[in-house]
Amino acid sequence: MSSFALGKRLCNRVYALFRNSNHRGVLISRRRLFTELQCSSATPQNYVLFNCGVSDFKNISGFPFSTLRLFSTQVAIEPSTADGLTVEGIIGNRWTILEESESDWRSHAAAIAQSIHLIKKRLQWKKLMMRLELLSVELNKADLWDDPAHAGKISREHGSIMGKIKEMKAFERELLEHIDMIKLAREENDAELESESLNALLSMRRNSKEKELEALLAGENDSCSCYIEVQAGAGGTESMDWAAMVMQMYIMWAQRHGFKVTVMEEMPGEIAGIKRATIKLDGEYAFGYAKAEVGVHRLVRISPFDSNKRRHTSFAAVAVIPISGDASTHVQINEADLRIERFRSGGAGGQSVNTTDSAVRIVHIPTGITATCQNERSQHQNKASAMAVLQSRLNQLEMARQAQMNAQHTQSLSDITWGNQIRSYVLHPYQMVKDLRTNYEVSDPDSVLEGDLDSFILNYLSTSLDKD
Amino acid sequence: MGSAVPLQLHSIGRGAMRLSISRAYLAAPHRVRPSRSICSSSSKPRIPLFLRPPNYSATLTDLQKWHDWAKTLSSSVGSSFVDADNGPDSALLHRELKWLVEDAVEDKSISSELRTNSEQNHEHNLRNVRLKVGIEELYRLWKQRIHERRPFQYIVGCEHWRDLILSVEGVLIPRPETEVLVDLVAEVVSDNEALREGFWVDLGTGSGAIAIAICRVLEGRGRVIATDLSPTALTVAGYNVQRYGLQELIELRQGSWYKPLRDVVGKLSGIISNPPYIPSDNIVGLQAEVGKHEPRVALDGGTNGMDELIHLCDEAAVMLKPGGFFAFETNGEDQSKYLVKYVEDNHRGRLCDLKIVSDFAGIPRFITGFLNEPL
Repeated sequence: MSSFALGKRLCNRVYALFRNSNHRGVLISRRRLFTELQCSSATPQNYVLFNCGVSDFKNISGFPFSTLRLFSTQVAIEPSTADGLTVEGIIGNRWTILEESESDWRSHAAAIAQSIHLIKKRLQWKKLMMRLELLSVELNKADLWDDPAHAGKISREHGSIMGKIKEMKAFERELLEHIDMIKLAREENDAELESESLNALLSMRRNSKEKELEALLAGENDSCSCYIEVQAGAGGTESMDWAAMVMQMYIMWAQRHGFKVTVMEEMPGEIAGIKRATIKLDGEYAFGYAKAEVGVHRLVRISPFDSNKRRHTSFAAVAVIPISGDASTHVQINEADLRIERFRSGGAGGQSVNTTDSAVRIVHIPTGITATCQNERSQHQNKASAMAVLQSRLNQLEMARQAQMNAQHTQSLSDITWGNQIRSYVLHPYQMVKDLRTNYEVSDPDSVLEGDLDSFILNYLSTSLDKD
Repeated sequence: MGSAVPLQLHSIGRGAMRLSISRAYLAAPHRVRPSRSICSSSSKPRIPLFLRPPNYSATLTDLQKWHDWAKTLSSSVGSSFVDADNGPDSALLHRELKWLVEDAVEDKSISSELRTNSEQNHEHNLRNVRLKVGIEELYRLWKQRIHERRPFQYIVGCEHWRDLILSVEGVLIPRPETEVLVDLVAEVVSDNEALREGFWVDLGTGSGAIAIAICRVLEGRGRVIATDLSPTALTVAGYNVQRYGLQELIELRQGSWYKPLRDVVGKLSGIISNPPYIPSDNIVGLQAEVGKHEPRVALDGGTNGMDELIHLCDEAAVMLKPGGFFAFETNGEDQSKYLVKYVEDNHRGRLCDLKIVSDFAGIPRFITGFLNEPL
């Protein structure tokens, strides 16, 4: 065994140990290591390639050398193995991907590389890099902090993108290091080390599947809570009943996900169903998932409201509004621009009337946007809830104004044209739910209407992000 | 209410909310010896339904049966109450039923189950549900609601008013309109921080709603004296004040209007009241929930409904300190206009900046003003 290989092996083992220990400890030692290294006159090349001798290791008092690579914050440097293999290279090799249970490192490596490729696509990697460059230029401007709000936003976004890029790069490097280790283990006939590294690859492969999913929800507002609004299309009671079914579907779907559901407003139909309703979903990634539902949902069935038992087609429109914490789209509402109304006024009011109906409607006079809440038990709470809805609607308007590319998911109900059908639910003459955007379909409408929507949502999200 | 509120909500015991006040605010600037003070009430009102322990139980099936029965009963009302005396319609009664379930069950998720899954499997429906009241009592309560038109707030023993939940047993149920009175105070004290200090009074406090809400607006800096003629009202108000942990800041005194306030003449920062203002002749035709169940003494304002309001205005000129604020609720446009004219005619130069403020239904509902500051 060459002294170089021995040193490298040692360092990787120590590194592996460190990765498992608590992070703070690692961080501190990395920083210390960095200073020590600078003292030990390491050249920049040392950081990137395994080309330094054992003598250097002794100077670093036993700290693993490979951790040094983590310091390279220059994202432009393409990580590679000792023999120059990159993640793109692995994909180019077209190694066969076998089942997870097959202990073949090439198969694991190829699967992980493919995941990395997919995740980057979902994160819109090239756009991300361009955006980062733009933000860096912005951050380096001398007059940046003249506008602290803007500066804060820029540096936050820069930080968030840097975080994503670093995480991906670290993931890539980890993959390549394990490959290095396996090659080394084979060279040295070290079965223990080989199986260790193989297991590490396997756990990376599993982890990468989760990362793929996470990358589907990497949009700006995806992690936000949201409002879902449903409105019945033309067609009277039959459509209103359909709108109520759609709303019920979302309530049940949200409950499965553990989102807190609050009915904000509901305009019941005269005979059955709802004309329109708004619910609020509180929870992580509520908007990220729910945004896939924006559009018109179509129902075909024998109408229970038709005494002649004819087949009817009904429509319901769905809008989804993120409840964004982003200050740049937070519209300052001027109290003087508001008109607040009791929803059902009439009669003398005051002491003469005892009603538990304390619904409140708020009209934002300049835009004509209104919000209503009737679900709370006091007028004060109804007003507060309606204000929150109004705030979100105004923010949404601002968001749409700011970013046309977001427009698709920030459409309000009034913007959704009835031609914009996204999904068909057929209960008669056959049974099927089909998403018209992805062509994904199932033959069990009942389970979908009971909130089993995840496969539709994930299919849509991956289709819309994974297309080239 | 932009500035920090020094009140913190703590959750204690069985979900009961209590307000704790940082010590600094407990030291009143100068204590006033109450003439007749009600410190603690010997008799307590019944505990609101939602606060009672879940000592009862029923199977989900039985609860569902009651719920279906209650729903049918509410549906049968249709618009008949609306037509008769502008009472509640079926839709409103359905909503009240939902709230009754929320208050009566321990596990809140039951209420959504009752609405959605009426055909669950048998085993599931034999599950026991913990209740705060027996199932027979639930039948009795809903019969009272529909057949006797007993106000929903008396059924559940509480009213949600602003961000408060108040016991209202035997007292006037605070109306949504009256919430605005508190907003008016919040506005005034944010314009003039000095008004936050000193004494505020709530005359004819009833459940104590206005006193408690104002006390919270004052952020612990001012003190509130709440008066009422009725011992029942003072008992209920005392219970509510205690529940929000404000007994150090709100003093309850028994007596008619300003009578128990002889020690603070000319010292008040603010006077707020929702006095009885319905003309005597109108009491008979009132919505059944109001006319048949709520205390007449809290509603009847004499021949033209203005007896108490005029008295309140006359005395305000004496009781307020210079710059002090008053706000009274009225029956509507006629009374508000009349009062403004009355004050202009009788207290010119003393009470100033008179304003009529509308409620959310657009009805001119409140009259506000200040005591002139000497030049």
